[in-house]
Amino acid sequence: MSDLTRRDLLGTAIRGSVLAAMGGGALFLVRKAHGQILWQVDAARCINSRLGEVGVEACSLCTTECVVALSAVRAVNEYSKCGRCNICPAYFNITSPVNELGQPSEKLCPRDAILRKPIGKVDPEDPANNFYEYLIDEAKCDGCGKCVLKCKEPLGLGSIVLKVRYDLCVNCNRCAISEKCPKDALRQLSVGQALG
Amino acid sequence: MSTGAVTPAVAFCRRFTILILFLLFVSLAPAQPLQYQRPVDTAPQEKSIGGGYKTPPVQKPLPRDRWLQVLDVALLGFATGAAVWLVLKRRTRKGLAWLSIGSLAYFGFYRQGCICPIGSIQNVALALADPRYSIPLVATAMFFIPLVVALFFGRAFCGAVCPLGAIQDVVVLKPIQTPRVLDRVLGLLKYVYLGLAIFFAVRPGLARDFLICRFDPFVGFFRRTGAPHMLLLGGAFLVLGMFVGRPYCRYLCPYGALLSWCTRLARRGVTITPNKELDCGLCAGACPFGAIDKMRAVRKDCLYCARCFAACPRDPRSRL
Repeated sequence: MSDLTRRDLLGTAIRGSVLAAMGGGALFLVRKAHGQILWQVDAARCINSRLGEVGVEACSLCTTECVVALSAVRAVNEYSKCGRCNICPAYFNITSPVNELGQPSEKLCPRDAILRKPIGKVDPEDPANNFYEYLIDEAKCDGCGKCVLKCKEPLGLGSIVLKVRYDLCVNCNRCAISEKCPKDALRQLSVGQALG
Repeated sequence: MSTGAVTPAVAFCRRFTILILFLLFVSLAPAQPLQYQRPVDTAPQEKSIGGGYKTPPVQKPLPRDRWLQVLDVALLGFATGAAVWLVLKRRTRKGLAWLSIGSLAYFGFYRQGCICPIGSIQNVALALADPRYSIPLVATAMFFIPLVVALFFGRAFCGAVCPLGAIQDVVVLKPIQTPRVLDRVLGLLKYVYLGLAIFFAVRPGLARDFLICRFDPFVGFFRRTGAPHMLLLGGAFLVLGMFVGRPYCRYLCPYGALLSWCTRLARRGVTITPNKELDCGLCAGACPFGAIDKMRAVRKDCLYCARCFAACPRDPRSRL
């Protein structure tokens, strides 16, 4: 009987010390924790997003490397910065032949994810003063970055950037895109920094 | 002495002071920094466009809500508790199989295998080692809850909560009894894997790698996409799993290594009680994981699937 009790006591002691060690570790981690960390594209590093990178091919690693079926990275138009141009270099393939409407005949987006909508009344006599809204259909965009690259000076204003879509991103420990990104543009940020 | 009179000397002093102050002000004014402005504000705004135009809001799909993350942890805790109750108290497999399918649907296919306690080993190790790295509370809870439960009641997490275990459990068709020696040798692999995973996770900078996530064989199925070689490996594990019960859990799972250490210290566990059982051996034949040795449950290897109880001819209530 006493042998059993001693064994029980030993078991309880070991269990207690393991529990205390785990509690200590957990406490250490909890005190250090500062909320959730999210992956975000650093626009200053991304080849497609950053200004001044002109005449290069669009980098589409975000589309091809992401582990979810439709990449969690997609193009976002910061509408307040958008020039709302008549001939948008991100919407049209501006090197394609001009059609009867006086517009380039091809669109740039391979998935037709950009919607062009006239703002107000269109004056056909004065095309330079007609404004158009360019809405990006998030359900279609796969973040290939072609429009992002074209929306830059001298023609664009850099209003389109690549961003991570958090409803799709599974927040991998080791983001597959970040492993391949040549500019190391995917960074882990706190929620505030990533969404701001 | 008149109070209102001002002598010329005082008046001069006052004027001089005002002049000095004025000069000081003028000299300071240009030193103020100029506000930087873009030369031309090219983007037309609501006002310049006119016609009641409103700028559409920028789309911002938000990350998972905080309360949904808490729900993940709560479900993990609830499912682990339910597994303990079903296996140790009710001694039945019926509810357990449903629970494990539910976990597979939620933690596997809905949450796409992230966040999981197995992968969190790396984050916990890195957060303990690297002062600049920290993990969210949810990850800490995900890591510790199954371990604490295992410390008292054994690795119930493996039985019905872990989606990786559940996906292997549903394919167990015709398990063969693997030779005990082979079982033991292969079982050592998980300790090696645990060591390697921690070693690579705490390495600095670009040398850091999360092996457990990189070589997770089933996450490709949960996400319905993935690198072809990983899907192939996962498929191979599932095919192997038809004949060798839960190969990943038994031989490779690094979290299983931690859980089996905790289970050794557990106060209670799955038992095939001496004198109360028939010792007919039906349970040993039913165990696909070789966790019943000489008619007794081997605690560190038992995966809490309750197949032994299901195979027992005795009424479970009589054995409580």
